[in-house]
Amino acid sequence: MNQENGSALTETVRLLCRTPGGPRFGDVLVVGGGISGIQASLDLASAGFKVYLIDRGPAIGGRMAQLDKTFPTNDCSM
Amino acid sequence: MDRVAGEAGDFTVTLLRKPRYVLEEKCTGCTTCVEYCPALCPDAFNQGLSQSKAIHIHYAQAIPLIAYIDDSCLYLKERKCRICEAVCKNRAIDFRQKPETLAVNVGAVILAPGFEPYDPRESGRYGYGRLANVVTSMDFERLMCATGPTEGEIRRPSDGRPPRRIAWVQCVGSRRVTPGENRYCSAVCCTYTQKQVILTKDHDPEAACTIFHNDVRSFGKDFERFCERAARLPDVRFIRSYVSIVGETAGSNVVVRYATASEGVREEEFDLVVLSVGMKPPAEAARLAERFGIALDPSGFCRVDPAHPLQTSRPGVFVSGAFAGPMDIPESVFAASGAGARCGELLSRRRGRLARERVFPPEKDVAAEEPRVGVFVCHCGANIGRVVDVPATVEYARGLPHVVYAQEQLFSCATNCAKEITAIAREKGLNRLVVAACSPRTLEPLFRDTLREAGLNPYFFEMANIREHCSWVHSLEKDAATRKARDIVRMSVARASRLEPLKEFTLPVHKAALVLGGGVAGMTCALSIAAQGHLVHLVERGEDLGGLARRLHTSLDGMDIPARVRDLAERVYANPRIRVYTRARVVSAEGYIGNFLTRIASDRGESEIRHGATVIATGADLYRPAEYRYGQDGRVLTLLELEEAIARGEERVLGAGRTVMIQCVGCRNAERTYCSRICCSAAVKNARRLKELNPAMDVCILYRDMMTYGFREEAYREAAERGVRFIRFEPERPPRVEAVAEGGASVLRVVVDDPVLGRTLAMDAGVLALAAAVVPAADAPEIAGLFKVALGPDGFFKEAHVKLRPVEFATDGVFLCGQAHYPKHLPETIKQAYGAAGRVAALLANDTVVASGAVCEVLERRCIGCGSCIAACTYGAIRISETKAGPKAAVNPVLCKGDGLCNAKCPTGAIVLKHFTDEELASQIDAAADAAASETLNRKAG
Amino acid sequence: MCSGRVDLAHVIRAFENGMDGVYLGGCRLNECNYITHGNYDALAMVLLARRILQHIGLHPERLRIEFMSSADGMLFAEGVNDFVRTVKALGPLGRAEGLAPGEVAARLAEVRKLVPWIKLAKRDKLAARLTDPAGREGHFTAEEVAALFREVPAYYIDPQKCQACRICAGRCPVEAIDGGKQRVHVIDQERCIKCGTCLAVCPERFQAVTCFVGVPPPPPPAEDRRTPVRRKKAAAAP
Repeated sequence: MNQENGSALTETVRLLCRTPGGPRFGDVLVVGGGISGIQASLDLASAGFKVYLIDRGPAIGGRMAQLDKTFPTNDCSM
Repeated sequence: MDRVAGEAGDFTVTLLRKPRYVLEEKCTGCTTCVEYCPALCPDAFNQGLSQSKAIHIHYAQAIPLIAYIDDSCLYLKERKCRICEAVCKNRAIDFRQKPETLAVNVGAVILAPGFEPYDPRESGRYGYGRLANVVTSMDFERLMCATGPTEGEIRRPSDGRPPRRIAWVQCVGSRRVTPGENRYCSAVCCTYTQKQVILTKDHDPEAACTIFHNDVRSFGKDFERFCERAARLPDVRFIRSYVSIVGETAGSNVVVRYATASEGVREEEFDLVVLSVGMKPPAEAARLAERFGIALDPSGFCRVDPAHPLQTSRPGVFVSGAFAGPMDIPESVFAASGAGARCGELLSRRRGRLARERVFPPEKDVAAEEPRVGVFVCHCGANIGRVVDVPATVEYARGLPHVVYAQEQLFSCATNCAKEITAIAREKGLNRLVVAACSPRTLEPLFRDTLREAGLNPYFFEMANIREHCSWVHSLEKDAATRKARDIVRMSVARASRLEPLKEFTLPVHKAALVLGGGVAGMTCALSIAAQGHLVHLVERGEDLGGLARRLHTSLDGMDIPARVRDLAERVYANPRIRVYTRARVVSAEGYIGNFLTRIASDRGESEIRHGATVIATGADLYRPAEYRYGQDGRVLTLLELEEAIARGEERVLGAGRTVMIQCVGCRNAERTYCSRICCSAAVKNARRLKELNPAMDVCILYRDMMTYGFREEAYREAAERGVRFIRFEPERPPRVEAVAEGGASVLRVVVDDPVLGRTLAMDAGVLALAAAVVPAADAPEIAGLFKVALGPDGFFKEAHVKLRPVEFATDGVFLCGQAHYPKHLPETIKQAYGAAGRVAALLANDTVVASGAVCEVLERRCIGCGSCIAACTYGAIRISETKAGPKAAVNPVLCKGDGLCNAKCPTGAIVLKHFTDEELASQIDAAADAAASETLNRKAG
Repeated sequence: MCSGRVDLAHVIRAFENGMDGVYLGGCRLNECNYITHGNYDALAMVLLARRILQHIGLHPERLRIEFMSSADGMLFAEGVNDFVRTVKALGPLGRAEGLAPGEVAARLAEVRKLVPWIKLAKRDKLAARLTDPAGREGHFTAEEVAALFREVPAYYIDPQKCQACRICAGRCPVEAIDGGKQRVHVIDQERCIKCGTCLAVCPERFQAVTCFVGVPPPPPPAEDRRTPVRRKKAAAAP
């Protein structure tokens, strides 16, 4: 995860994972918590929208979390 | 997800929340329950290569980091056991949980369910599931990974031995017409295989790697260089051949049969075979389609219109990532930002009503305190702990000067550990933190927030990299690695003790964007930013909008390009929030994120534009071939010229007896080490069109590797079926073109060595079309200089991070899309343009931005006004002004990027890069030298 | 922080700490993520530092710079292994060169003191972007560095001319000038960084500061002989 995402991620997770307890009205529903779903949620959240991120699994991260490292910098996929 | 009702702007989605049987607010992620759970099941995250328990945490860095119970639980199946309930001290287990239905009301939906890796069992041809040492590439990722089933040592499944001879089989489940496999190309496998080869060689330099492929599709940015790097490694073979898995030997080695032109059919034994599996639509695609009422394409991916590649067939429901077809990570990332932009267009009036800001406690003033350093040493699962003696490192850290607390953690980056750090910092009154874990590049921002949570200035933080710099590179020398980890921790503690609190700047944001380039990328981006409520200045160097796309007529996916370009231009001109400048030139550019000031000379005269964000969408140029008689013989055209001639219905083209196309003209060579990505598809497109218009025409495409990735593969196959001839040539033996006088007429003769047939073919061409490379725009260096952004080695603009920040520059506030980034097809350009618009909107939606505190400042007393720093600063951040005490330098902190070149050039130490001061760095150098650390450090600190 | 932030003083400090070798890794040349290309600055600094090591009798191979991307793990490992072999073959700092430990320390300390002057004197060449590999080895020559050390300036305040105006003392960046009221100013040669600011700012009508090159400056006047020699009123009038 890159720098900005790293810190923003915790923020979104706070917002997203905990929310459906408050009023159930949001701006956008994102289906799928892989890299694309997370990025979309982060962007929408920083643009001022409330986002629901849902995933069928028990945690977000998707396929990319399963990768060892990524091309071409061989950065850690986390 | 259960039901969807309503329409764009107002959907009601009914969600079905599966029970975890674990109370989220009570579970601490301690995993005691996992230890005691008797029900073993294959671990899906590790591709079933290892065992997990019925109650477990999905993976070690999972968010949220709490346990869940799956279907293999004995209690859920047979009403027995309940051991977990008994061992959980926090009483977090709750078997009474029932599926919960909740309805949420949203304005828009983004579908990003991803993809499913192809399961080779579906075709039954690869021995997968039958032969122990045949694994898929996803399995292999887990085998390489330190958090995987073998803790990062590559071991083969049959006997746990490290494999020496490894074969990769490409196109498993892709590019095949055989039942159970897919016809399209999965687009990512060629590149991930190169990565796996390089990483395998990192693990074991002796490993012999063989890649069986059909084409090496290195069509993405930097792919070609990456492939060359893999190919240059010792004992790496690329063999162009289909293979069949024959069976296994007594020793469980896998026998592979293949054929080459030079050696014929051969059989070879490998210790391990990796199947490079492709992508399939996600398992729930059909259900999602039904619930949301969206259309799927025949292969089961989400159907999109190439002109609106982020839009499903239902308004208000957008798509991002591989659900729209095979794509790589960067494209998934910018598609995500793009889908976000599309939602923003729809909902711009609702913005900001519902989101909440993260609030940190007030910052404590610790200036008067002695340094009180806390050290947290991370195991990173097994990544560090397997090599470095973590408890011993913690013990050592406790003895270092100023260290008042030290402990180990399993994953410092996991949510629970970060919370633990905050709690301990408060409890022990720590005022400096050292986390000994991985590279600061990835997680420093996260830990800075951890400090903020503890009421500390975020700059009182130092990361000791004992993973990349230690455990990963010294896996075989554990004692030496532990000693090195101590050295690194000692250096970090020394620096941490000297760190100073820094202030970050809050800058106002001017809510307008400047978009450079009026092609499809620039227009799409401008329209989206405007639709999200912001003013846009669109600057085009040419006389009219449209860019290179104005010369295109058809596309493989059936987009009516001229109509699309006309439509975009009309909407741009009609949009009151977009101001268009044609025949424009950037005169000067200054400023920084949120506050740029750019001067433009255009048809409107000279204008001064204030803007908060800049988008570079200046496109690319086409190579003008110097080879194959281009420019000397009227029958030799570029592919684009051919397309224009077809569109005009030119008889000399349509009536030609034979058209020959030569691919890779001007690229994938020593001068331009990249693939232009679009030309193979363009060749297929034009070949198909020519065959339609004149079925008698002989059309030959001379190629090196056909880069018809994704669904374009279908068109390639179709063209071949319609009789278009594809003849491969080796880069060492390119085709020759000569004009021969024959029977009083000049004949254009193309001669090529066919490596498959092993002979030389000569053909006379009525028309010869060259796939001329896409090259960086001529003004790219000038634009890069003006906006202080970087160009990559190929001359295209260089994004901040290949994978994760594909539309941003390292320079804040400047964004990138379209062919200025790299050659790409129009749907990709459109997605990236929306992606840039999404990032711009995320910036402009805020009233302020925060700039780093790690910038330079001048200690005026020491400055002699020599100007060395000014010459060193590329950003123009330093000015000299006359003071009573002579000329003195001063830094504009918002322009400073913190590279610190000025600091190294300053003779008197007057200009200081904060957070990397001479004192801080010298303390690390001194600490590095001292093996008998504590005493020396005490002396120095005293 | 960029590799170009690495200071000549940092390198010298590492050797003073007894390090036998110093290895610098920078991004690949011409592949700067920004527009700074600071790795060229690091390169020029290393080239000069190697000449300086050579000049003071230390093996220049003890300092090396290599350029790589974050994906060049193998290149880094090979580079470092090779460097370690080279340094091990050389042997410990000083001993391999036949220098007593005290001598090595003294010579390095001398260089450390001269770093500000070296940065000033070689300012342009240190900022050069050496894109052509052929031009790198000869960018700084042994003779040039020898001359650099030969021509170290020393600034001296003439007690006969100094009017104790305190301007130079106020402007000296390292507070190396003892500039008491009604007392002839004296430069502490140990602290002086040879930037020449005193010479530049001494009022033209006094011209009390002189630059000595190659010869040591005269000793400062004794403590009890520091009363300024006042110039005649007419000449001193503004």
